[in-house]
Formats: sequence, structure tokens, C-alpha cells
Amino acid sequence: MAQVPVQTIHRDPQLFYWILVPITIVMILTGVLRHYATVLMATAPKKLDQKTIREQRSLLHGINVRSNFHVLSKRSFTTRRDALTTAYESGAYLKDPERRGQAPPNPMSDPSSMEGMMGMMKNQMAMIIPNTLIMSWINAFFSGYVIMKLPFPLTIKFKSMLQAGVATKDMDPRWMSSISWYFLCIFGLQSVFNFLLGNDNAASQMAQQMGQMAPPTGQMFGPGVDPDKQFIAEVENLAVIEHYSVLDGVEQRLLEGITV
Amino acid sequence: MTSIEREFQIAPIVQESVVHNSRTLFNLQSLTASLFGVGAGILGLESYYGFLFYIICSLLTTLLFYVLRVAPSSLPAGKGAFDTSQYFRSPYEFWTGGLLNGLAGFILTWTLFFGLVRA
Repeated sequence: MAQVPVQTIHRDPQLFYWILVPITIVMILTGVLRHYATVLMATAPKKLDQKTIREQRSLLHGINVRSNFHVLSKRSFTTRRDALTTAYESGAYLKDPERRGQAPPNPMSDPSSMEGMMGMMKNQMAMIIPNTLIMSWINAFFSGYVIMKLPFPLTIKFKSMLQAGVATKDMDPRWMSSISWYFLCIFGLQSVFNFLLGNDNAASQMAQQMGQMAPPTGQMFGPGVDPDKQFIAEVENLAVIEHYSVLDGVEQRLLEGITV
Repeated sequence: MTSIEREFQIAPIVQESVVHNSRTLFNLQSLTASLFGVGAGILGLESYYGFLFYIICSLLTTLLFYVLRVAPSSLPAGKGAFDTSQYFRSPYEFWTGGLLNGLAGFILTWTLFFGLVRA
């Protein structure tokens, strides 16, 4: 196979100062802005009234007793289980005990659920608006020519992505236009944001998209969930636990650990 | 009940500490990956040599991290050489996790400096 000669294209060095540097700076500043916008727009958790808090905490209490039963002694575990079971079954912790057994209210009509949706919408907006703006900005000002060369070869499939707007058939796919530099910035600037803003920043859209893949964990007390049913389920969970303690046979373990 | 579960209940692992440890490692890896990209770009490495440079440097960083940060306290605690189980849950996460974490940052700075210096 004949050796393909390396393509060289002479480009104005001014391209770097007027395209590469502005795009990079804009991308970094957008990330910083997105981080602070997310921080500022984050709504403080809504204040709940005492009854609601009691309902949620008592359910959490049951869950904690269930998952950490091994640190309790037999007697204290049984006492706790009995007390919780009695209270759960009688509905003593319910927010409004007279509504027991009725269907839960429609989640769409509950104002507290709208709050959560608004928060999600805000995050989406903080991601979509800057993306659209920057994409159209780059397309409007910087499209139609290549700015630099990737240091590694790519297959011909990438040509349409990397050289969008450059209709040159025989050009090596390694040459990339400004829009592909934008994509590289999206993927690779995470480490810069880590350095600038600390680790748990909200700057990177990649991290946000990962977060959206994971199911939200706060669904436990969401609207539309009947707390009475949760309590009854928890009673069953508590009832099936076969109790043992980590301190069972601790003397034996201690003596085994001692070597004279 | 398995004996492993029992073992965890007797000597529980604090989740926050595990998260903190891997976060520290992740910060180091993403920062150094960007710096390796600068190095590879200035050296003008292309295609396979660049990725090879990245893999070697990243493994070297992890090795240094082990020697300087992990080994001084894990060797006296009775762990064997190259055993990171005192601070990290899985050895694969420690030794090779950095390769994927920093790859995007590496390619970004590599392309940038390759473009600035060579092309």
C-alpha cells in the first residue's frame, strides 16, 4: 500500500487567538456561571409542619431499626419492635388519622409536587439554554473552516461530525472545525472545573446527565404515596427479622485474637 | 446470613470515608491527566504513542500515589505490598480507574497543545 502523504494546510496563526481562545474561555466561564446559577437557584427545602415531619421520621425510625438491628441487644430490639408495630398498626403517627384507607390525592393537584417539577425544569433550563446559545453562536461566527488537527487518526465516519460545514471531500478526518472543539470542551473540561470549583460542582453537563440517569431517591415521601401502606409494609418487614447481635460470641472472638 | 455480611457488621465500613478516599484519588487523576495532555502535546506525540504515554504516566501516578500516600500506613498495618484494601474497596478501582477518569481531559489538552505547538 502506498504511503499517503501527510496533508498540511497553512492556516493563519490568528485563527488561534480569534477562535480557539474565545471558545475555550466562553466554555469555562459558562461552566462557572452554570455552577453558581445552580447554587443560587437551589430552593431551600420546604418547611413541613410538625405532623408531616413526625410521619416521615417515624417511618425512617422503623427502617433504621430494621437495618441496624444487629447492634441492639435482643431485649431492646424486641421492645422497639413492639412499640413501633403497635404505633404503626394503630396509625398513631399518621398525619391525618381520619383519612386512613382513602385513596391518596392526585399527585398533579398537590402543590408540593409542582415544586419538585419546577426544580427539575430549572436544572434542565440551566443546561439547555447555554448549550443552544453557544452552539448557535459558534455556528453563526465560526463555521466553514478547520482550525486544527487531532493528534490521532480517525475513521472516515467522523468526517461529517468533525468537519461540519466544510465541504471538502478529500480532507483527512483529523482536521477539525470549531464545532468539534466545542464538543471536546464539553467532554474534557470536567477536570478544569474540578480544579476551579471543587469536586461537587454543578458545572459539567456530563455529570448532570449522569445524575438524571439515576432514579431519584427522594421518592419515598413523595406525593401520591400512601403513608399508611408504607407503615403496614414496615410492620411486616420488622416482623420477619430474625434477631441476632454482633456481640454474640464476642468473648470467643476476643480470646482468639489474643496471642501470648 | 453469610460470614462476609457478619464480618462487615462486626467491623463496619464508613461510607463517607470511602467516598472521600476515592474522591481524593479522582481529583489527582483528573488533574494529572490534563497535565499529561500538555506534555504529550508539547512532545508532539501522535496516535498510539500519545495513548501509550498517557497509560504509562497514569499508571506511574497511581504507583507514586501508592508509594507515597498508601504504603506508609498500610504496610505497618499488616497489609501486603501493593495491597490497597485499607483505603479502597477494590484494587481495580485504584489501579486502573484513573485511565478512564482522565481520558477526556487528556484528549482535550493533548489536542490543544498539539495544535498550538505542531500544526
